[in-house]
Amino acid sequence: MVATETVKPVSVPGAEGTASAPGTAPSRLRRFGRAVLPGPAPGANGAALYRRWWLPWLWTAPAIVCAVVFGVFPFLNTVLLSFTDAKPLGGAASFVGLDNYTRMLGDSDFWLATRNSILYAIVVVPLMVLLPLMLAVLVEKNLPGIGFFRSAFYTPVLASSVVVGLSWQWLLADDGLVNTWLEKAHLIRSAVPFLSDSWLILFSAMGLTLWKGLGWYMIFYLAALGNVPKELHEAAQMDGAGTVRRFWHITMPGVRQAMMLVGTLTGIGSLRVFTEIYMLGSSTGGPGGADRTLPFYIRDVGLDPLTGNAGYGSAVSVALFALTLGLTLLAQRLTKEDEA
Amino acid sequence: MRAGRLTASVAGIIALTLTAAGCGLSGGSSGGDSTAGGCKVDKGNVGSGKLTGDVKGQITFQTTNLKKDFGDFFNGVITSFEKAHPGAKVKWIDDPGDNTFTQRTVADAQACTLPDVINVNAETATALTKAGYLLDLGVKDPDVAKPFVPAFWKTSTYPDASGKAIHTTLPWYTGGVLLTYNKDLLTKAGIDPAKPPTSIFGLFADYEKIARSAKGKYFATMANPVWRIPGDFDQMDIRTLSADGRSAVFADDPRTTQWVAWMAKLYKEGAMPKDSLSSSNDPSTLYSQGKVAYGSTNPSFVRFVKQNSPTVYARTAVGQQPYDALGRASAGAPQYISVAATSKHAPVALAFAEYLTDAENQTAWCKDPNVVIFPTTSASLNDPFFQNVTGSDPFSQARKLVADQLKTADTNQTNLSPAVQNAIVAQVQLAMQGKKSPAQAVKDAQAKANELLKQAG
Repeated sequence: MVATETVKPVSVPGAEGTASAPGTAPSRLRRFGRAVLPGPAPGANGAALYRRWWLPWLWTAPAIVCAVVFGVFPFLNTVLLSFTDAKPLGGAASFVGLDNYTRMLGDSDFWLATRNSILYAIVVVPLMVLLPLMLAVLVEKNLPGIGFFRSAFYTPVLASSVVVGLSWQWLLADDGLVNTWLEKAHLIRSAVPFLSDSWLILFSAMGLTLWKGLGWYMIFYLAALGNVPKELHEAAQMDGAGTVRRFWHITMPGVRQAMMLVGTLTGIGSLRVFTEIYMLGSSTGGPGGADRTLPFYIRDVGLDPLTGNAGYGSAVSVALFALTLGLTLLAQRLTKEDEA
Repeated sequence: MRAGRLTASVAGIIALTLTAAGCGLSGGSSGGDSTAGGCKVDKGNVGSGKLTGDVKGQITFQTTNLKKDFGDFFNGVITSFEKAHPGAKVKWIDDPGDNTFTQRTVADAQACTLPDVINVNAETATALTKAGYLLDLGVKDPDVAKPFVPAFWKTSTYPDASGKAIHTTLPWYTGGVLLTYNKDLLTKAGIDPAKPPTSIFGLFADYEKIARSAKGKYFATMANPVWRIPGDFDQMDIRTLSADGRSAVFADDPRTTQWVAWMAKLYKEGAMPKDSLSSSNDPSTLYSQGKVAYGSTNPSFVRFVKQNSPTVYARTAVGQQPYDALGRASAGAPQYISVAATSKHAPVALAFAEYLTDAENQTAWCKDPNVVIFPTTSASLNDPFFQNVTGSDPFSQARKLVADQLKTADTNQTNLSPAVQNAIVAQVQLAMQGKKSPAQAVKDAQAKANELLKQAG
């Protein structure tokens, strides 16, 4: 039989840790609680009565430490390095002022990579915002067998980028499935050079990104569509609104926040694209390096252990950050103006 | 009050970050008497003088993607080493060896956490030697060269920070280089399979004959030039880099332009699949389907064909690689064993590195039926396993050919950084597409390479 203590009910929320029942010795746990947990703050009332100013910092400390170590520190380090001639192998780095940024402005390869990255974002972001939404609308209804289609659309998300890249190489080869179909349908006479023309490699890589991301963002939209009131659709339908009109005037406004989120995430992802280009254009980034994006270029000029210049690579990284931030802020502003 | 606390907290975070940033810029570690790279190390690990000390203590030994298939072999080697040296302990770790290997290994070195004994390739060895993170084996044990094929040892050097060539690696094993081809496809093109070409341009001429005979039904080889640069240049005795490695000089040799012109011509005439210009250059699949006449240039490829495509294997023959102007074989891309200058038990690490690469252990591993590799010690190459090859099948012939060539081969391949190699390859691709003349492509390739070499300092 376990001896039980009678604990006096406590009326003040948060006071349990500090009150002990009369006639019982305070346990170690309670003593620890008194020392660590909040007591009443002078002048405070209500819920704030027992809250210490440092308590939120304590609970968020692990996240803050992670953010500082893996986010803020690398970022500040990158900014610092961009003003030096640091090498990936270490050693003494000299301060070079704005030299890296000046070099960047006159570097045609940098501008080519910037063009490719921006083009990637311009093509991929609108498609990635709209196509998964349309897909989500298609599979939203609970029809028999719909689970199969939802799983099928989501499957590419689970596959590794390398496996997907190899599959696309086989699909897009001169004697691959796509060219074979096009030839059999008498749409082409000779193979379309998907893997040897620099523009087609770039657009094929965009297709790969879209195909792999559709299922992922479809899940976002499926969750958002659940919040669109069905009554609105029913009322509009009774008023004679067709499918397209209801999609445009009810569904899209209803998932506006999700679209904004998808647009932002896709924009950031598009500017950071590397694997798709590497898989379809190999280590050179397409013939003549014409398909290199900014991350690809950073790898070439900044990270090579033998000939890399971490300072210059950092300067290009800072430019990529500024570009990403700029496009994100622009998108937010446009959305706000649209809402207003 | 609240604003003050917030300010103090934010200031604390910034101070913490800047402190960390400062650490990141300076790097290094504490402890030890001398410096290797950015790390303080024992005095005996650097400078002149033989390494002395007891073979006692625990070391870490890192291989590259070998644990899965060769666990029993390496555990046996470690056990016998520990038995021979009581007090020595070896902890074995295995790196996946992906394409970020060099970057990750360099990061380990900068953090002063390089494994004591490490399996490296030429690129990683070049980077680590330049920064001073590897033990100068030629100095630390003057007898270390004895077991190795002399030419192999002589050419296994890397420039240190001052540009002086030093021995920081022990040659371990290599895959070998040879020609593998489909006899039927060569015969159709009027090429005698028994007489492989002796020069690179001779090989290109055969590619051209195949393209004319095939008329697009099959190909001679793959288009992406990434595996040919700088290998072909080295074999032709074209100097890719200057003696100090700080500038590119390949454009100064007119044969480089001729080489690019050949590649452009072959691509245009259909000797290579058009879609392989900047994608995979691995001919394994197409060769196994009988769609490419020349396969990969290593004996393990012959075994791959034997296992996966018996019909094509029956039509396969092997020939000596074209020695061209160099006049001897290339050793391919050997694997090396190095000892970290940052090792806290360098005598143990050096003893284990020498034990692992000695003739007995090299021969034993090369006999493993799961692997097609070749040793780098003279005694191993003279082993009956390599010399008394009786079979006339392509795989047996491949083993004999490579073992013979390795007795005089050297590790002559120029160590280009991936970025420089890609810069050259990219310009050659443009020439192959007809977007640039071969002369212009070579000129631009040299300029791009020099830009990268210049920023490396």
